[in-house]
Amino acid sequence: MQLIPSKKWVLGSLVAFSLITLSLPTIIIIGASFTSGEIIQFPPEGFSLRWYRQLWEMDDFRSAFVRTFQVSAICTLLAIPVGTLAALASVRYRMRFQRSIQVYLLLPFTIPLVVSGIAMMIFFGEIRILGQLWPVGVALCLINLPFMIWSVSSTVNGLDPELENAAHSCGAPPVQTFFAVTVPAVMPGIITGALLMFILAFNEFLVSLFLTDARTVTLPVQIYNSIRSVITPDLAAVSVVYILVALLAVWLLDRLVGLDIFLKSR
Amino acid sequence: MSTADNMVEIRQVSRAFDKTVAVNRANLTLAQGDFLTIVGPSGCGKTTLLRMIAGFDEPTEGHILIKGQNVESVPAYQRSIGMVFQKLALFPHMSAADNVAFPLRMRRFNPALIPELVEKYLDLVKLGHLANRRPHQLSGGQQQRVAIARALSFNPDLLLLDEPLSALDKKLREEMQLEFRRIQQELGVTTINVTHDQREALVMSDHMIVMDEGVIQQSNTPREIYSRPGNRFVAGFLGVTSMFKGSVVAIENGALSVELGTVTLLARGNEQLFSVGDVIDCALRAEQIALIDTEDSRYDNSVSGLVRQRIYEGDRMVYEVQVEDTGGSSVYVFDHDPGKNGEHDVGASVRLGWNAEVFYAFPVVEKRVL
Repeated sequence: MQLIPSKKWVLGSLVAFSLITLSLPTIIIIGASFTSGEIIQFPPEGFSLRWYRQLWEMDDFRSAFVRTFQVSAICTLLAIPVGTLAALASVRYRMRFQRSIQVYLLLPFTIPLVVSGIAMMIFFGEIRILGQLWPVGVALCLINLPFMIWSVSSTVNGLDPELENAAHSCGAPPVQTFFAVTVPAVMPGIITGALLMFILAFNEFLVSLFLTDARTVTLPVQIYNSIRSVITPDLAAVSVVYILVALLAVWLLDRLVGLDIFLKSR
Repeated sequence: MSTADNMVEIRQVSRAFDKTVAVNRANLTLAQGDFLTIVGPSGCGKTTLLRMIAGFDEPTEGHILIKGQNVESVPAYQRSIGMVFQKLALFPHMSAADNVAFPLRMRRFNPALIPELVEKYLDLVKLGHLANRRPHQLSGGQQQRVAIARALSFNPDLLLLDEPLSALDKKLREEMQLEFRRIQQELGVTTINVTHDQREALVMSDHMIVMDEGVIQQSNTPREIYSRPGNRFVAGFLGVTSMFKGSVVAIENGALSVELGTVTLLARGNEQLFSVGDVIDCALRAEQIALIDTEDSRYDNSVSGLVRQRIYEGDRMVYEVQVEDTGGSSVYVFDHDPGKNGEHDVGASVRLGWNAEVFYAFPVVEKRVL
């Protein structure tokens, strides 16, 4: 009985410590972005939106932001059909080399991003598509695809293996079964995976660094380029934009799938 | 009866997988409106047989006829068969009403009639008030009912039940057994139920098939199968059965004299199957054995034994009695009225009596070694 108050105390302080360490960088960067001074500092010097206005006026940041959106959209649109079908096939259907295919699909995880980046840079250069925007989206889809497959697979695993047979016994032919039963039933996994893919592509830096040039530079690479010259509070403002995009994704996830389902990763 | 009167006819159907034969030359006919239960231990081939009828699997040999039509080339979605699956397989993204409406939409019923039919079948399973709930918002029993309504809403020729009750707890299972039976009789739909639960088979069906190792062991009414098991497997599978090993010493006037250990008893069996000296198994159900005081002339057979175990089950007392006379084997005995008959302590010696007509002798068949 005497243990309980102390247990409460220990647990409470552990939780508080975790919350603080996790959120402190975010709080600092948000605060710093509202400074009216010339340097990044916390607590901020005065309050102003000047760095946000500045950010909005900087064409290279704005177009980098738009390009990042395009790249992420290409990556996500590609990942949805590829990842969904791969997950369904590798979990649902009995096929030859099933294990090997499952392992093969997860291989992108085992290759360091630097290696993927160099390999794709050389390959894209050879087939003369380097310097365009869409190959960056394809590349980001490739390296992050395991996340999509995992997300859909976990939903597929939770389905009744007889679901398609049930649809057949209801009179639904195979194509209708796929679109009216299978796809809607795995939709939570598809949405979760798609948002994950979008955020990952939105944040991806290393591979993008290899595949972009001055005309196709994406936001993370743009930020990297600018901190190499001079560090001003507009970087803090960019970071806040990033945080907002992430929050938006989490909000969407909650609205569309329900966070409880995502957290239970059903 | 001509073949057209039979809803289902299965002729010499076999299904072989790589090395095993799941179903071995099965034959059965099922009349319109009948309730058939196929019962057997897991792996006996009953589910494979059901899946072939549903169209999810194909026989490697033989023919399946539904309404007199050979259905070999008819895919599952073109057969008029409703099915309730073991884990129900409700569509998780649809409400109860949409689940029930799905077969109607897929089978191109007049859209104007669909809401009415959905309501009718949800009412039939007493779920009208929960039409808008998703499956995960319903209890296990309610999900069962949705699955039944979905399987029946399009008025199928045949209803298949693939052990849908096995996951429920005992009380709910028994309630659903009666519910299935009520709905089946109300609609008169021909039904095939698959289960490993012998009680379910006995309670629910007009007709019963016992399967083991891919072979139909016996096919008849539940009452007939229970009271006249056709072979050793069926006798052992149904009820609480004790087996005795022995040999035939005489055959006269339809009765067998069998020697079990040190005693000679009377048993019943098909005369043609036996000759004197044959090794046999004799099966005896627990409820057919009486605990008697001394020699009791009402019973053809009596032996003495020692009570090894006494189990109180509320509505009955179960004794495990070691019978020295027959070589030390144990038998289970039910006493349905221990208050009147008096209880026997562990270690007490008792006398058991039973009649020849409930003592079934079967030839010992050597079990195939796989």
